[in-house]
Amino acid sequence: MKCRKTSFLVRIQKFKIPFIILILFIFILPSIIYAAGGGKPATKIYNVADTRAMEPGLSKWIADIYNSSLWMYGGVIVLVMASMGLFIGLGMDKLVMLLGINLGKLDHHE
Amino acid sequence: MDIFNIYLPIAGIEFNVLLLLLIGTTVGICGGFFGIGGAWIVTPALNIFGFPMPYAIGTDLAHMGGKSIVSTIRHGKFGNVDAKLAVSMIVGTTVGMELGAKLVLYLERIGMAETVIRKAYVIFLFLIGSYVLYDYISHVRQQKKIAISGVPAGPKRDTLAQKLNRINIPPMIHFKASGVRCSLWLPILVGFATGIVASILGVGGGFIRMPALVYLIGCPTLVAVGTDLFEVMITGAYGAFTYGVKGRVDLLAAMWMLVGAAVGVQLGTIAVKYVRGYFIRLLFAITIFIACSSVLLKQLELQTPSSILILTAGIAISTVILTLLVKGVIREKAAIRSAKKPLL
Repeated sequence: MKCRKTSFLVRIQKFKIPFIILILFIFILPSIIYAAGGGKPATKIYNVADTRAMEPGLSKWIADIYNSSLWMYGGVIVLVMASMGLFIGLGMDKLVMLLGINLGKLDHHE
Repeated sequence: MDIFNIYLPIAGIEFNVLLLLLIGTTVGICGGFFGIGGAWIVTPALNIFGFPMPYAIGTDLAHMGGKSIVSTIRHGKFGNVDAKLAVSMIVGTTVGMELGAKLVLYLERIGMAETVIRKAYVIFLFLIGSYVLYDYISHVRQQKKIAISGVPAGPKRDTLAQKLNRINIPPMIHFKASGVRCSLWLPILVGFATGIVASILGVGGGFIRMPALVYLIGCPTLVAVGTDLFEVMITGAYGAFTYGVKGRVDLLAAMWMLVGAAVGVQLGTIAVKYVRGYFIRLLFAITIFIACSSVLLKQLELQTPSSILILTAGIAISTVILTLLVKGVIREKAAIRSAKKPLL
């Protein structure tokens, strides 16, 4: 049990540096977005989602956050996307391993 | 098909869930395989099906952040991510992008931005595609010669990357995952140059960074793919936040796309296991030529054919990648079975 715990901690350690870097760069890369999206300026003047006819549920929850604070909305997007990415990614990993595909380190042959 | 329609509260439109899943899966497979963000597929695809352009870009960036986390973790486990190299490059990329953005503003002021950028994009894509294709053809010819003569090739001429790696300007750094030792200034300068180009062309940069990592720094193809995805992950996370704050991300659409993309990106990433680096380069060259043709169509004001071409090509390339994956898995299973068979 202890051994399993240790290997889990080692795995977490592996990803520690990339995540620290990720957080640091989130704050110092304002220009990257230009190249990432390169979008034209938005034309909508008011950022309001119409929730009047909405039933309670995921859509309404998203629209409510959007209407209450865009800063919070931005934060929720990053959190939801990151956690969904991690969750589905790790889930798919398990699934692929169940299929018997070897997911160990690769040799870099050209 | 109406039963699959959902109301997207932020973009304020009805959209088909199956379409979101299809777009997500397609771009996921291509992204995981080539190490690119795939904005060139998603943005026109969403736009052609009714998403307003700013929402298409924002929603694309949001799902890109999540998708790249999946592929970076997978590539990381394969040993394909050189985090040290990616961070060194990001420093240069940031400065390069800022400079590129200033150049774009200047071009805008003199009223030449649209034409100059689009032409530069076509020329640039054409040159990269041609070089990658040329490199692939020379490699195949050389392999054939060796197979016919049976004599191993003599000492090869130094590649550009090897020459650049030898420039001794301190600090010299060893990038373990890439197996490259070079001056720290090399990745910073390469990042700077790709940053300028990416910023001027208004793209994420995966298209440019991946070949730059291979041909200028000397990374193995798979490490170039993984390291590039690490950068895309950072770009995507920041992009999702800033477009979200501007209210231009439809989170519900991004979530559906991410479901498709997270599955697709795993498949695309695992597929690299079964192909040789040079074959990835060949498919990459073909993809670049298709993207180039799409921009050319846009230049001729044929917006709809351009978007249809890019979406169809994306689906076709994903199908090829999936076929390679399935064939590879079957081969692997057969090899395991024959190894287990007792000798009679």
